[in-house]
Amino acid sequence: MRSSDASDTNRETWSGSVLTAHQRATLDAMLARLVPTDEHGPGAREAGVLRYIERALASEYREDRDRYADGLREVDEHASKHFGLGFCDLAPEEQDAALSMIEKLPRSGSGLDSGGFFELVRGHALEGMFGDPVWSGNIDQVGWDLLGYPGVREEWTERDQRLDAPVRRVVRRSEDGPQTDRRAD
Amino acid sequence: MIVGLGGAGGIAAHVLTHAGIEVVALEAGPNLDATKAAFDEIGNDRRQRLSSPKARLEIPTWRPSASEAAKPSPWSTLGVNAVGGSTLHYAGLNPRFLPWNFESRRRTIERYGDGAVPAGSTLADWPLTYAELEPFYDAVEYAIGVAGSAGNVRGCVGPTGNPFEGPRERNYPMRPLRRSGWTELTAGAARRLDWHPFPAPAALNSEPFNGNPECTYCGFCDSNCCHRNAKGATSATVIPRALETGLLTIESSARVVAIEVDGDGLARGVTYVKSGEERFQPARIVLLAGFTYENSRLLLASRSTAWPDGLSNNHGQVGQHYMVHIIPRVLGLFPGRALNIFSGPWSQATCLDDWNADNFDHTGLGFVGGGMLAASHEMKPIGTAGGPLPATVPRWGSEWKGWLKRNAQSIGSASAQLDSLSYETNRLDLDPVATDAYGVPRVRITYETRDHERRGAAFLRGKLETWLLEAGASETWSGEDFIVEARHAYGGTRMGDSPETSVADKQGFSHEIPNVGFLGASLFPTTGGHNPTLTVQALAWRTAQHLTESWATRMPSG
Repeated sequence: MRSSDASDTNRETWSGSVLTAHQRATLDAMLARLVPTDEHGPGAREAGVLRYIERALASEYREDRDRYADGLREVDEHASKHFGLGFCDLAPEEQDAALSMIEKLPRSGSGLDSGGFFELVRGHALEGMFGDPVWSGNIDQVGWDLLGYPGVREEWTERDQRLDAPVRRVVRRSEDGPQTDRRAD
Repeated sequence: MIVGLGGAGGIAAHVLTHAGIEVVALEAGPNLDATKAAFDEIGNDRRQRLSSPKARLEIPTWRPSASEAAKPSPWSTLGVNAVGGSTLHYAGLNPRFLPWNFESRRRTIERYGDGAVPAGSTLADWPLTYAELEPFYDAVEYAIGVAGSAGNVRGCVGPTGNPFEGPRERNYPMRPLRRSGWTELTAGAARRLDWHPFPAPAALNSEPFNGNPECTYCGFCDSNCCHRNAKGATSATVIPRALETGLLTIESSARVVAIEVDGDGLARGVTYVKSGEERFQPARIVLLAGFTYENSRLLLASRSTAWPDGLSNNHGQVGQHYMVHIIPRVLGLFPGRALNIFSGPWSQATCLDDWNADNFDHTGLGFVGGGMLAASHEMKPIGTAGGPLPATVPRWGSEWKGWLKRNAQSIGSASAQLDSLSYETNRLDLDPVATDAYGVPRVRITYETRDHERRGAAFLRGKLETWLLEAGASETWSGEDFIVEARHAYGGTRMGDSPETSVADKQGFSHEIPNVGFLGASLFPTTGGHNPTLTVQALAWRTAQHLTESWATRMPSG
């Protein structure tokens, strides 16, 4: 079981966040349905996906801020219209139903990605869940553990590359090199 | 001088300096220290930080046809802006083209009749043969370091390489990359199907080579720089050797904005921006090597009295015959098996050419050509979790999580690069509205995938499915019918014998201006069914070598 510390940290308001408290809460609720905490193990909350996205919106993904603001508002409006409450206040099953409807909405199709706020969030959630922990998501490698991905090593041997060879899980320490360059953050 | 010091420019710089010629190379990106490269799926694969100096700031617009408005390109066109260019981060899968590729029009019509070439296609033969290019393929393989197993040495077809390849003079300089459970699983399946698998030729060191160490199979190769310089980036191989001659000057973070001409219409140099100031670099010969999009763009943006429609464009051929690779990809589930393909580079792979070129009878199939199939390593975590899923698996939520937990390490894939034709209406020009930060118009892509390519992609997809099922997959699936790979981009300054239908001659020089030459896949009349880079580099070597021999006749007098 994961300690509650990781998800508590995740929920603390980060002073650098560009999201309002309500936007954070809505996004947090969305992410918790995209990658739930369940019998299969930790989910987006334990992995710190919200924090990953906040940091990204504050830096390299700053051009997505408007899309997040508009998109989160639309999620709320959709929830109110179809289920009578804001998205955060719905029961999980209703949140899932709302997200399923939103997922099927037409996309604008512009830009590099397939467009559509749902796809945008899903893509960022994948990064926050399964990216290198150096980027603030995938806390304690919970995302990698879900995938059975052992972690980053400089060398994999011939034995490691045999079918069904057991592979050692790598614990990445921050002082291990080579490190990703996060100076642009 | 050379505009762009990437995969093509680096080769030319090496050849020219070793012949005693002084070269100035202007590169829009910085000099990177590859040893500081990180294993970074977010920074590299997802955020493509290596494109930040230039490519990400001037994304082309795109429209399917001339009757529609253009909007930002939905397909990535991003390359690396740095000394070494995209060879810093490419997968390094490095096969040669087949002899058929150089005369695919003539041989298609000969075998299948005129009607086999689809209406609207501008398919043309190359103005040179495989045999003429062979010595340059050899030179590049030995200079960069390509690991592989020869299929045909001087007509003698061996058992371990590609039996369809054209004859080569000698074997590869390095044995192939290490074989693995996955490469052998897929090779065995191919053999049972009576196909002819071969280890992927790779511009990676299978053993220490020319002072650089061997690959350690870390699994962060494609889209990532090699921290050990075990990848044959030009910055790790030929560029340092060019610098050692003392005849190469590199201006990095130098962005070329126009080619300048003299009163006779010959090139006299380029205008570029560095550190916020505009400068002029004089040159007697200008070689454009900024990648396919930029090569056409700079010509079209460089207008003058002598060149009212853009440099070298008095026949309206610049930007024409644009092509991209159409890539079908199929995934397969191998339940209960740990494939361990999170490890190893993309070019640690099994390849086959049985469904490429004219290696099979196309009668009744509705397309010509084909593509090389490859089953590779390097399944990174975000790519695995975010990849296409079987139709029955949701794309989020608990059920999705459970499926990933059970299956993420049991997914293998194979893909093919379809030989995709040029058409009258697929081309590059300048967007009338969108510009970059320097005021240079962005490239506008007019492109639509045709039925001919859809049929070819569907056919290859079928072969990929057959392959994975034979290898033991319990089910196979694709995300989309095919991927439009706009980073395998071709044409715009295509080679040919006639200025009416091509921009460059068989040596890679402009038909219209003797002192402007082109390096890169902008020269290709066809995409072929293989990765482009080795052929790009072989042509660059040949163009540079020709230049050393024809120097005096090409320069402006006085």
